[in-house]
Amino acid sequence: MKYNPIAGLALGLGLAAGPALAQDPVLYTSNPVPAYEAVQAAVKGALDTDLGVITGGSGVLLRRIEAEQGNVQGDVFWSSSANTLGAFEALFEAYASPELAAIPEALRYPGDLFQPTNIHLVTIMVNTDLLDGATAPTSWAELADPVWKGRVIMPDPANSSTGYTIAWGLSKLLDEQTYKAVVANVVTSGSSSAVPKGVAMGEYAVGLTFETNSYAYIDGGQTELSLAYPSEGTFQTVEFSGLIKGAPAGETAQKTIDTLLSQDAQIALLKAAFRRPSRADITVSEHVGLPELSAVAVFPVDEAEAAASRDAFLAAWAELPKAGDAE
Amino acid sequence: MTAAQFRTPWFWLSLLALMLLSLFVLYPLLNILTASFLGDGPSGWMRVIETPKYRQAIANTLILASAVTVICTLIGVPLAYVTARYTFPGKALIALLPLITLVIPEVIAAQTWLMMLGNNGLITKFLREFGIRLPSFYGWFGLITSMSFIYYTYVYIGTVAAISKFDAQLEEAAQSLGTAPVLSRLRVMLPVILPTILASALLVFTMAVGNFAISMILSHRLPLLSVATYQAAVAEGASDITMQSTLASVSVLIVMSVLFFNRWIVRRGRFEIVQGRGARPAALRGLGGLAVGRPSGAVVVISLLPLVTIAIGAFTRSRGPVMQWGEWTFDNLIRVFVTAPGPLVNSLVYAGVATFISIVFSALVSYLVVKKPNILTPWIDYVSAVPLALSGTVLGVGLLATFNSGWLSLSGTASIIVLAYVVRRMPFGMRNGQAVLHNIPNSLEEASISLGVPPVQSFFKVVLPVMLPAVASAAILTWTTTVAELSASILVYSGGRETLPIQIFRLIDSGLMAYASAYGLVLVAVILIPIIVATKVFGIDVFSRR
Repeated sequence: MKYNPIAGLALGLGLAAGPALAQDPVLYTSNPVPAYEAVQAAVKGALDTDLGVITGGSGVLLRRIEAEQGNVQGDVFWSSSANTLGAFEALFEAYASPELAAIPEALRYPGDLFQPTNIHLVTIMVNTDLLDGATAPTSWAELADPVWKGRVIMPDPANSSTGYTIAWGLSKLLDEQTYKAVVANVVTSGSSSAVPKGVAMGEYAVGLTFETNSYAYIDGGQTELSLAYPSEGTFQTVEFSGLIKGAPAGETAQKTIDTLLSQDAQIALLKAAFRRPSRADITVSEHVGLPELSAVAVFPVDEAEAAASRDAFLAAWAELPKAGDAE
Repeated sequence: MTAAQFRTPWFWLSLLALMLLSLFVLYPLLNILTASFLGDGPSGWMRVIETPKYRQAIANTLILASAVTVICTLIGVPLAYVTARYTFPGKALIALLPLITLVIPEVIAAQTWLMMLGNNGLITKFLREFGIRLPSFYGWFGLITSMSFIYYTYVYIGTVAAISKFDAQLEEAAQSLGTAPVLSRLRVMLPVILPTILASALLVFTMAVGNFAISMILSHRLPLLSVATYQAAVAEGASDITMQSTLASVSVLIVMSVLFFNRWIVRRGRFEIVQGRGARPAALRGLGGLAVGRPSGAVVVISLLPLVTIAIGAFTRSRGPVMQWGEWTFDNLIRVFVTAPGPLVNSLVYAGVATFISIVFSALVSYLVVKKPNILTPWIDYVSAVPLALSGTVLGVGLLATFNSGWLSLSGTASIIVLAYVVRRMPFGMRNGQAVLHNIPNSLEEASISLGVPPVQSFFKVVLPVMLPAVASAAILTWTTTVAELSASILVYSGGRETLPIQIFRLIDSGLMAYASAYGLVLVAVILIPIIVATKVFGIDVFSRR
């Protein structure tokens, strides 16, 4: 072995540092790094434990929880919308966190099976450097103009719940002709994070994405970017956390959810990841350059109908011509 | 087969090795193949045939892999030829080539290409001022360009090795028989080096088929097999493993047919160079030197650009996803080592353990196959080569399907990551080990045994020390490729077990380039340091041209 320094090193490390996370709570999250790091810091501060994190798309995480039912690995899931979570109710345990008292009744999930953590609003993100003389769109209908053909990017509804929220909402809000014209202009992306990145890097003039993703680039100092909340009303999604049934961390798992919903953590999340809080006792504009929810027009969508019609809607969506198709 | 064979320890070791290989290689593969036919829901194969998106994905993957293979050959072969046969200004730079491909994570390469050739890229903007509009980098243009500039090195390395083994006397003989120099080279050299070129080209083809990182970032709306497989595995609402298994099976079939084609070519015509005397490189100076040096240098510089980008990015301050170019900081690196060192520690531990297991297993098993053949060893040989036909995504899908639950539930543990590493990289150690053992005369070991040392001890005392230098270089190569592994581990990792490549992929996906660059730079260091230590301190020729 003395000839093989690598193997020796490996063996040494292997004996010395087997990662052991048995007692610490584990968070299964579809949220990006700055968001879950803010939560990790809040949990460290409030509970003095290290919050383990596993990330992935909501779908893969939920199915992983399903697969791990006999041997539960995670404690808390965060976050997804009601229509995604609806199919996985059996994997979770209701938990009426005391922090829910500060959250409007309208946002809460029946029986408190899930806890509302934040609200997503869809924004039209514009890179003004790429307008080429066109006016920045401030309404959905304006996106039907052929001038936007191939210059608008949105997440693929088949792979992203953000994309599904937008596509479904547009189909309900716009008349059929305008809807088809808008769809004909958009390019869809398999990854929802590619949308704000594509606009910020100057790949696309317009991106349809949640404010949490688009505002990060404006906060970073890219002055050529702007956000619009469409005048006809934008689409809202409430994001929930859930206590996984049989969570190995037990009471600590519940306390992790309490921490996640606490005012401190929600302000930290707003500042670090621009997550609009579910709590009613936080003034958003005090912390970031985003408008209050009351100042934004929201178009109401029947989420149950959206979830039930998913397969049919996606099949119809796949048939519609889009700007990215011609290759 | 005689009863005597059962009495040796070697037979039982062979049996054990075959059982391990069956469990960890064949069984997952079998699971994918059966799930594609018998899985829940409508038959996977019917779904592939009926869904235009999947049919397109297969066709696109084949077209992409063919295009990349052709371009890699067109870049790699001439570059190898001029490097092997001439000296010219800047040649030393080209010696760096094998290193470059090994150390640059593909995710970072793809991102760098976007910075140069995306809609807002430096080159794109420059050309636009002259009225030249490049096609969108997302899709064919980007996929072909970035894969070609990563994979051409494999053609280059293969061809350089073949040309330097080629006996220059053959060429001289042809010339003295009256053939013109250029023609004689082509006529005499080409048949000899062609199988090697073809083999490296086919390797590029299989890698392009299995490519995950670049495809994921650049394919956007172009359906590709590896991306479709990954998305089927992680899609919301997909509740059965039928689709991902079927798509993985398609990829296995493609790669298998390529490998059989390769075997067939190799068997068909074989020219043996008995005792080669490589040609001395001729010096090219003046205009000739520039004409060769410039383009060759350009190729290398382009391949190096991602490395420069991550080195700068790692020390650049960022606010959220926005890079504040020109403002320098150590924050990103402090994060890697202090705030969030998990990925670094995990990578070192998992890749270290996996390298150790791979090397021990492949040394032992190649010894069995070459020196102690019995009825089991040919099977061991075949089965241990099977992972070569599996892309990382396919392997990940197979391991997930097999070890997610049931009597051997590994999901959520570190061992499934180590397992993925070992299965994916062990065949390289095997091939290396067998090549070395063929060159060790049996008489050495026989002498030891006849002097009274028991067989197993003889292996450790006589054979192993002779193998060691080669084993060490195989260990380093295994380490470098293992520590950079992404496509299988991203499917099987669990909470708190992120490795450096997984972390980089996630950070780039979230748009956090500065952090990604810092982890990327550390990954490059983790790969490079063992290579440098091995070559400088221990004098091991890692990239032996043989």
